[in-house]
Parts: sequence; C-alpha cells; structure tokens
Amino acid sequence: MSKQVQALFLDKKMGFFIYLIVEGIMFAVLFATYIVYTPSYSGPKPQDVYSVPSVLLASVCLLSSSATLLLAEKGLSSRSMLFIRSGMAATFSLGAIFLFLEINEYYSYATEGYTFTANNFLSSFYILTGLHAVHVLFGLLWMVVLTLQSFRHLPYALYLEKQKIFHYYWHFVDVVWLFIICVVYIPYIV
Amino acid sequence: MTLSIWDNVLYMPGDVIAAWILMLLIGPILLLWLFKTKKWPIVWEYMRTTNHRKIGTMNVLFGFLFFLRGGVDALLMRTQLAVPENNFWLFQGDKYNEVFSTHGTMMIFFAAMPLLIGLMNIVVPLQIGAGDLAFPFLNAVSFWMFLAGGMLFNMAFFLDSSPNAGWTAYTPLSTDTYTQTEGNDYYIFALQVSGLGTTLTAVNMIVTILRHRAPGMKLNRMPLFPWATLVTSFLILVAFPVLTIALSLLMFDRLFDTSFFSGEAGNPVYWQHLFWIFGHPEVYILALPAFGIFSDVISTFSRKKVFGYTAMVLSLCLIGFLGFMVWAHHMFTVGLGPMANTFFAITTMMIAIPTGIKVFNWLFTMRNGVVRFTVPMLFALAFIPTFVMGGVTGVMLSVAAADMQFHDTHFVVAHFHYTIIGSTILGIFAGIYYWYPKITGRLLDRRLGLWHLGLFITGFHLTFFIMHITGLNGMPRRTYTYQWGENLFVFNFISTIGAFLMGVGMAVFVWNIIRTWRSGNHAEADPWQGRTLEWSVPSPSPEHPFTQMPVIDQRDAFWYAKQEKRRLLIQKQPRPSPIAVKTIQPLCIGLILLLLSLAMIYQWWILAVLSSVLVLAMFLLRTWRDERIKTIREEVTDE
Repeated sequence: MSKQVQALFLDKKMGFFIYLIVEGIMFAVLFATYIVYTPSYSGPKPQDVYSVPSVLLASVCLLSSSATLLLAEKGLSSRSMLFIRSGMAATFSLGAIFLFLEINEYYSYATEGYTFTANNFLSSFYILTGLHAVHVLFGLLWMVVLTLQSFRHLPYALYLEKQKIFHYYWHFVDVVWLFIICVVYIPYIV
Repeated sequence: MTLSIWDNVLYMPGDVIAAWILMLLIGPILLLWLFKTKKWPIVWEYMRTTNHRKIGTMNVLFGFLFFLRGGVDALLMRTQLAVPENNFWLFQGDKYNEVFSTHGTMMIFFAAMPLLIGLMNIVVPLQIGAGDLAFPFLNAVSFWMFLAGGMLFNMAFFLDSSPNAGWTAYTPLSTDTYTQTEGNDYYIFALQVSGLGTTLTAVNMIVTILRHRAPGMKLNRMPLFPWATLVTSFLILVAFPVLTIALSLLMFDRLFDTSFFSGEAGNPVYWQHLFWIFGHPEVYILALPAFGIFSDVISTFSRKKVFGYTAMVLSLCLIGFLGFMVWAHHMFTVGLGPMANTFFAITTMMIAIPTGIKVFNWLFTMRNGVVRFTVPMLFALAFIPTFVMGGVTGVMLSVAAADMQFHDTHFVVAHFHYTIIGSTILGIFAGIYYWYPKITGRLLDRRLGLWHLGLFITGFHLTFFIMHITGLNGMPRRTYTYQWGENLFVFNFISTIGAFLMGVGMAVFVWNIIRTWRSGNHAEADPWQGRTLEWSVPSPSPEHPFTQMPVIDQRDAFWYAKQEKRRLLIQKQPRPSPIAVKTIQPLCIGLILLLLSLAMIYQWWILAVLSSVLVLAMFLLRTWRDERIKTIREEVTDE
C-alpha cells in the first residue's frame, strides 16, 4: 500500500471506528431500556420465556464466526484468495445459522404467546435483539457483496480496505452479542 | 374553511390554504426566473457537488429559509398574544399548539443546526488547511438527509398535520392515545432523518480535524472555531444516538402498539430522561460553535491574539463534559427527589464557571486592543451582555426550589431565548457577515448591516426582556391567551412590538443579501486583515484551496507572517486530499429516505419495503462505483 492510499485508508478506519461508537451508544440506550422495563409488572416473565439451548447454540455459532473471520484476515496478509474466500464462507454460514436460530427463537416465542406487544419487557427484548439481528443480516449481505467484489479486478489495496472495514464491523456485532448474553439472558437463566 | 370536492367535504384551515396559494405563486415565478437567467447548470452543479463550500452554502441557504419560516410562526404567536382574550385568525387552541411546536422544532433542528453546520463546512477546512472534509461524499449525504428531514417537516404543515406536542414531544401527550393525527409521526421521521445526517456530519468533522490539518498545525495551534467544532462534534456523537433511539421507541409506541411511554405499564418520565440526555447537550451543540465564531471575530477585530487560549479550549471541553451531567434540571418539577434535584442543581451551577471564564477572556482579548467596530464585531459585542443575562437567569433557574415557581412560565422562555438567540443566532449572523467574502466573494453592505443589527437587537430585548416580568407574574408558556386584569396586557403588547422589530431587522438582512448579490463590492482575499488560514486563500474559496500547502509554525501563523512581511513555508508533499466527485447519489439517498418516511407515516407497508430495498441498493451502488478504484489505478500507472 503506498503512502497516499494508506493515508486515505486511515481516514476511513478512524471514521468507521467513530461510527461504531455511535452504534455502541445506540445499543447502550436500548440496553438501558431493557433494564428499565425488565421484569415488567404484568405479563410474561423473562424466566418463563427464554429457552437456554437455542440461545446457547446461537451464541456458539456467532462467537465462532469471529474466529473463522480471522482465517480470512490471515489470507488478507498473505494475499491468498483461497484463505479469504473460505474464511468468508465459514463466517457467512455461521452467521446465517445464527440468524436462522434467532428467527426460529422469535417464532417459537410468538407461538407461545410471548409476542412483541405482550408487555414492555418483551417489546424492549425484541427491539434490542432485533436491531442486533438486523446488523447480522446487513453483515451477511455485506459478505455477499465482498465476495462478488473479489471476482472484479479491483486494485488489491482497495479490496483489502473493504475487507478490513467489514472485519471491524463483524467483530463489533459479535461484541454486542456478548453484551446481550450478559445483560439480557444470563441474569434470568442462571 | 371547508371545501366540498365531489361528495367529500374537506376541511382546510385558512393559514394552510394561504400558504398553498403563496407557494403556487412563488414556485412558478422561481422556475421562470431559473429558465430566463439560464441558471439550470448551476442548480445541476449544486445537486451533484461534494465540495465543502458548496454544501456548506446550501446548508446555510436552506437553514435560513427554515429560519424565516420559524420566524413567521413566532410572529403569528406574538400577534395572538398581543392583547388579552384575543382571537387572531385561527391561532387558538390546538392550532396554537401546532404553531409553537413547529416554531421550536424548526428553529432548533432545521434553522440553528444547519446554519452552524453550514458555517463549519465552509470555514473549518479552510482554517485548518484541509483540502475538503475527510469524506466529501458522506458530507453530501448528510446535507441531503437534513434537507429531506426539513422538507418532510414542512410538508406536514401543507397537509394540515403539523405536530402539536411541543418541540420536546413529551409523552404521553405525543403518543397515539392523545394525538392521533399524523403530526407527531412527521416530527419523529423528520428528526430521525435529519438527525442521522447530523451524526454523520459529526463523524466527518472529527476525522477532518484530527487527520487533515496542515503540517505544523498542532491541536494547540488551531483557531478556536475548529476547536469548538471538534468539541461540538463529540457532543453530537453522544447526544444524537440517544435521540435516535428515543424517537424509535416513540415510533414503536405510535405505530406498532407498544406502550413504553403510556398506558398502565408505560413510563412517561423515561421519555423525558432520554429526550433531555439528548436535549441538554443539544443546547451546547448550538452554543459552542457560536463561542468559537465569537472568539475568532473578537480576536481579529481587536488585532490581538485570543486571551488565555488554553483556558478557552479547556473551558470548551469542560462545558461539553458538564453538559452531559445536567439534563434533569429540565425535570425539577417531576419529583425525582431531593438528592437528584440537588445533584443536578449543583452541576448546572458549575457550568457557569467555564462559561464565565470564556466571557472574561473575550473581554480581556479586547482590552488594550485596536478594536474595529465592524458589523461582525458589533454582533459579538451585542452577544456578550445578552448571553451573560441568559446565563444569570440560567443560574436562577438552576435553584431547584425556585424553579418550582419559574417552571413552564414565560421566564423560562425569556431565559432560553437569551441564551440561544444571544449566542447561536447572533453568532451565526456574526459568522455570515465575517465569512461572506469566503462564501460568495463579496462583502455585505455595512450600513444595512448596522440597521439589521440595531433593529434585531432592539427588537430582541423588547420581546424577551419583558417575558422575564410576565413570567414572574405567572404567565404560563404554551398557552394561547390570558385575561384582562392580570397585569399582563402592556407587557405582552410591548413584546409583540419587539417581535415585529426583529422581523423588520430580518427583512433588512434579506435586502442586504439581495443588494450585495446584485451590486456588491468584490472582496479581496483578506478584507478584514484576518489572522487565520482561510484569509490566505482567494475569495470565494476555490475548489482546491491549498494547492501550495502552508507550514504552520505558531498560532495565528498567517497573521505573524504578514506582520513580518514573509510568506509561510510551503510543504512540497502534503498528505493526499480527499477525492472530490460529482454524483447524484447523495440526492437520491435523501429522496429515498423521504419516500421511506412518508411510507412509514401513512403505513403504506409495500412502499416502505420497496424504499428500504432501494436504500440498500444505494449502498451497493456506492461501493460498486467507488471513485477510489479509478484514482488508485491511475496512481499505480503513474508509478
């Protein structure tokens, strides 16, 4: 990477990190909302709603997807497209499984009568985890676009940049999930 | 007024019809004028630009238009309040609620914010020696998002569904239980879209200031306006996401039947907390940039460097920091308990300390200086006593026990107009007069400027000083009438006269702009004998201002170089500038978000899904046609 390209990349990196702070604050407010309204005075209690196996499986998938992404990162530094693509493919599959499990979880809750408007605990739960799920979905789409981009003949420096920015994003989404486990689930299932 | 169209009877209030007629008259005239003077290439150019000066100019232009609209709202309110038991046109009851809600929201979000952001856009890169903002494309997106929000908010009025729950949209009044019309949905989406734009601007400003300064311009050599911009951007970064989430929760309450803020399980006070955690820093987001402008103006026109530069910077940071610890002083009457009230009373009083430091430093900057009474300097001189009065009433209001008496009276109205008009609006005027040459290449007329200043300041004090008294006499705010025999009539009448004087002042300002545009004096690069880098580039500032990157060796380096009759050293290989592009994409993003908002407000779900997909498509288009593909390729072939 030449000095010129490097400088513009560092701009972008700093900008993106600041943007992640913004996202972090948004999630923080939603965490606060969840804490304020949970447990609610009436309606379903979190202890009755959460199902441990599904949350556990989803967490394993999402957290290990951060590890598989490191594989792609390794490929970036050695310019090995094979590593990059296989790392991305593994991350994509794990993310997709997570999203499937998440939707499945919502569906089973809803069929048990724990719907979005049942009480404020559930509303804040769905909004918080829903915003996170939307981030995962956006990340999945992003991975598709990145993979398509890898078949165009982009300058490698630029492709590297686009990959790196995505990596920051994906790790951030993972960290948010860690907080969700600690704040949303653990106090009520342990 | 009721209209019968075929079988349907449609009710439209007279003011909305009047506004429609006015628009239908002005619109074609404007179009005709654009055709006749062949201005379309310029319009097309501005629609696709990513240049910081052009985007800043558009911010100022539309901010000013919205300012005029908010001003008309104010005049309507003052007319209704001119005499007791008045029945002016139809501005009573709910219509009055709509007018004050629109006035507040319009002035804060769609006038003061874009005017300040516009000045930041134009001036900050020039002052720190940056080629442009760090992310020019993003800057354009921010602007079109602001405009989309502003348009949406104005559309509400034209469709007779203005928001009516105050600019604070307190719950449960603003939930669908109590205000069923679309008004407050418009409020939510207009603020959401423009607020996101503002957040992105803050990201842009921080990266620009931290990474794009001229060589040698350390942070402690930066002029105070970029400093104020930096601190403000951090405040935006923390405050606006809170508003985003608060508005989302309110949206879920209104459109998707949750009950966060109303009903048995809801908690209306939680909205107040969220709103003011955003809202109080917002006050400093408005004030700090104005402080920065005044620091530069006062220093330039006193021919002296800023007194106590380090103290000025530290107090900016301290005000910013304390700004996050005072939000509950808006909620003293809620009943949070003596401990909370005491805590927030004390933190509020503490803000007076750094603010006081700044006031004294401005005075000491002028002391023994060669003071030139130009129009921007006079605005700065008018600002100091005005703002000090606002500060003093602020300390009065911070006394929690006394606030029980002041709360929700015209005393509060007087206080925040003294602070916001006193700092932000006067600061914006000072900034516009000061930097007008950099924006347009012409100097605004001094004589008309003096009239503008005199009328505006006189009118301002007439209007708002009186409100301290009516407030202490017990006149509640947001109430459309009062009785004879309450000892309020004369005061209110004077107040109304003052408001119209301000209006006349604004008319003079508009006339000044038109006259200068027609036959103004062309300004040279440095018409004020300035101290900072923006005066080293031609007026108006060119697209690539720093083709020869100056090296900064001290604070106000440009000034001292001029004094010693030498030129600033030139850096041969500066860091690369951001890449300028011409693209219609940002405008399209704004339009799509407008469409998405309308779809959400009227719950047209298919359109909502479609426009969300379009938003994603815009992301794809952006990454696919990244302008850096081309520049990097060119660079590689150069090597």
